[in-house]
Amino acid sequence: MNRRFDLHLLGWLLLVVAALLLVPLMAAVAFEDAPGPFVSALLLAGVAGGGLVALTPTKERSLRARDGFLVVSGAWAVTSAVGALPYLLSGSLGPVDALFESVSGFTTTGSTVIADVSALPRSLLLWRAMTQWLGGMGIILFTIAILPLLGIGGMQLFKAEVPGPVADKVRPRLAATARTLWGLYVGFTAAQWLALMLCGLSWFDALCHALTTLATGGFSTRNGSVGEFASPAVEWVVIAFMLAAGINFVLHYKALTGRWSDVVRDVELRYFLAVVGGAAVLLFAVLWDGGKGVHDTARAALFQTVSIVTTTGYVSADFELWPPAAQFLLVALMLFGGMSGSTGGGPKSLRILLALRSLRATVHRFIHPHAVVPVKYHGQVVSDGVLSGVAAFLTAYVLLAGGAAAVVTAAGYDFATGVSASLTAIGNVGPGLGAVGAMDNFSHFPAVVKLLLSACMLLGRLEIFTVLVLFSRQFWRH
Amino acid sequence: MGSTLAARLARDRHDVVIVESDRERLQGLADDLDVQVVAGNGTAVEVLRQAGIEECDVLFACTSSDEANMVVALMGSALFKVPRVVARLRDRSHEASFAAIAQRLGGEHVCINPDQAAVEKILSLLPVPGAVDVVTFLDGRLIIAGFPIPAGSDFEGLLLSHLRLLFPSPPVLAVAIRRGEESFVPHGEDEFRAGDLAYFAIDPHELGNVLKLLGVRRGSEERVMIAGASRIGLELAQRLEARHEDVTLFEDDLAVAEAAAAQLKRTVVVRGQATDREVLEEEGVERASAFVACTDDSSLNVMACLLARRLGAARAFALVDNPALTRMVGELGIDAVVSPRLLTVGLAVQFVRRGRVRAAAALMEDLIELVEVEVESASRLVGPTLKELGLPRGTLVAALLRGKNLIVPAGGDRILVGDRALLIATTARAAELDAFVGGQ
Repeated sequence: MNRRFDLHLLGWLLLVVAALLLVPLMAAVAFEDAPGPFVSALLLAGVAGGGLVALTPTKERSLRARDGFLVVSGAWAVTSAVGALPYLLSGSLGPVDALFESVSGFTTTGSTVIADVSALPRSLLLWRAMTQWLGGMGIILFTIAILPLLGIGGMQLFKAEVPGPVADKVRPRLAATARTLWGLYVGFTAAQWLALMLCGLSWFDALCHALTTLATGGFSTRNGSVGEFASPAVEWVVIAFMLAAGINFVLHYKALTGRWSDVVRDVELRYFLAVVGGAAVLLFAVLWDGGKGVHDTARAALFQTVSIVTTTGYVSADFELWPPAAQFLLVALMLFGGMSGSTGGGPKSLRILLALRSLRATVHRFIHPHAVVPVKYHGQVVSDGVLSGVAAFLTAYVLLAGGAAAVVTAAGYDFATGVSASLTAIGNVGPGLGAVGAMDNFSHFPAVVKLLLSACMLLGRLEIFTVLVLFSRQFWRH
Repeated sequence: MGSTLAARLARDRHDVVIVESDRERLQGLADDLDVQVVAGNGTAVEVLRQAGIEECDVLFACTSSDEANMVVALMGSALFKVPRVVARLRDRSHEASFAAIAQRLGGEHVCINPDQAAVEKILSLLPVPGAVDVVTFLDGRLIIAGFPIPAGSDFEGLLLSHLRLLFPSPPVLAVAIRRGEESFVPHGEDEFRAGDLAYFAIDPHELGNVLKLLGVRRGSEERVMIAGASRIGLELAQRLEARHEDVTLFEDDLAVAEAAAAQLKRTVVVRGQATDREVLEEEGVERASAFVACTDDSSLNVMACLLARRLGAARAFALVDNPALTRMVGELGIDAVVSPRLLTVGLAVQFVRRGRVRAAAALMEDLIELVEVEVESASRLVGPTLKELGLPRGTLVAALLRGKNLIVPAGGDRILVGDRALLIATTARAAELDAFVGGQ
């Protein structure tokens, strides 16, 4: 492990964040908000980053897999800490709340502790949306470049095991791959910004929602989320871009470069769309009572399904008024998540797909005890290493969710609140049920629960094991 | 394969030269066959020249090595301008490479794949329950299928000429019978006896009725079990699962089984030996409509088939490439024996005769020969009625395809130019029949 260089990198990251704080700072000047908090945050981040870079001069610039765990976890922790400063220094939030909000931003979760979002200064709202957008950018780099190297939870599939359709690298070099995918990300954001403005939103609302949609974040500039605009057109645009953000960005690249056959044949995409379509139809069936029009009910069902499956977390209707079956469906959808290689959170559809196939193989083995039953993905046999990685990941996911839910209920909350709050945090979704429902926020939780949920958000976003290995004593040896 | 082919070609009065590097085998060949032998490696230019390749009409490359066969065949074609070359190739990718190179060379190039031939044979056997051998002719309009005549069936004691009464139209014809050690092309006065192996020319639509009279029951579902994930086993499983049939594939070697499972989609790949009673029972061998043993070990295949039959499999086919074993197997209760070697020889012979012959096959270990010809105007077959034609004993015109009509000719019928005729002869008489077809 090259700890000196790890710190050096984190120092540079702080400098980048400091530079990015210039954007809300300029916005504060333009909107005539108080620029003080951003100036202080910028200076703090700049000094800390510059100091770290200066103190850790190093010629040894090679990184091993272990450095990857440390740098990635450190990156999200450090940026979240700096990102909390503007909330804290502006006096909008206390230290724990500020950290929660910042973590929720950088992990693209979208849970908030702010009761009246619309009362915040616009420069702060912009920063809040930016944290999600930057988090999404980080996640693209993380899933495409770093995750395969770490081999977490079966995601090494993207490294070498499946040639052809899912090969992660769209370009031979990593930096070029990241640039291409970031280009797509920026392009999609710009397209949505434009589309939302055409639907009648102000440039500011349109920008903030574009920033948080592509990151599958879900922070809104309104207390009532997307639903407050009461515009079917806006909802359709948001549905389309949420879906796009939940799809593997490599597939977007392939579609744009005309390799449609690869896209159409992609097994994970088909499965992902089947889950979305099936859940939306189910939800429609549960919600349909003849009262509202078919279009309104269908749109509400599709919006909420896509919002939860892609782990965006926007709300277009108060789903707590929906029948229990509908609410259950939404919580169940939190256990699916976006596609691998997307900005979506959750366990990822690839893992669920592999787990289901391995379940089928296991049942098959009971019927044919001597049979050789491989699990296949895109016609290739999936190695046992990948399958056990997937199993370990899902086990850790469920254990973590159960543990967090236990703590929330121990703090005096009901079952629905406990389970949904922990699932929404680990899955980076946003809203839950009960006390953290569509129209509620997380401010009423005690500080311990807020910190726990913040930790869950980080763990979930970084595929659990990236952070978990840091707690192993073995990791820190030599 | 080379020696069997040489024997066949020599019998057909072709001049055959064998190039073989193993001197001991060479001596044996020279003693047994009426052929010329040349000692040496066939991939050497000098050896080939010495064998007289410059005057050769057809070159067969049929060593056990694909690579060597490719080199010999392409050399013959490129260096010596041999007009027609045949390469025995087992690997599909070799076939593709060979075809690609051959395309640029000119001349006629054919690859013969023994595994492929065996798979096709098994696939043709599967849909005809009770049959020990099946060949199709005349674009699938006619199947030649061999059935054992069971004691007590309606066929026992039946005069062949009475078949016409049982199946007035479309007719069913007995084209060959094996009784004990003797094989012959029967006449109207002959009768079926229990224990005969009778080959019938059947219109596929009439198959159900023939099976009923033979007392063969048709299973409702096809469940095929294959022992051995050899090239043949794997290919067979792939072809069957593409037809949505239930397939179980047994393979003892774990690595081979895993590789097979990776390539197959719906087939259940079971790790276990073909002769392991427990494994066979576990997978329900008693409900199998067919059990095909195609490991690389002929004796193991025979054993596995015997076991599968004992355990209740409806039919069992064994892949046997050992001629001595082949003759025994019929008596053991195995339904059919498939020999890639003989099949390949059949294809090679077919290639040599090609031109007049559209399709050919050999029955009963090569004792009966079937050829499908397109009748040309010069042929001696054209003109007189069949009775007047005076075909030699042991030969038969089994069927004619005239336009779209399938005709089973009687003595008063005539053969017309343009007819496609299926001719049958004992191998000893094949040359005589050939003379009629050619018209010299």
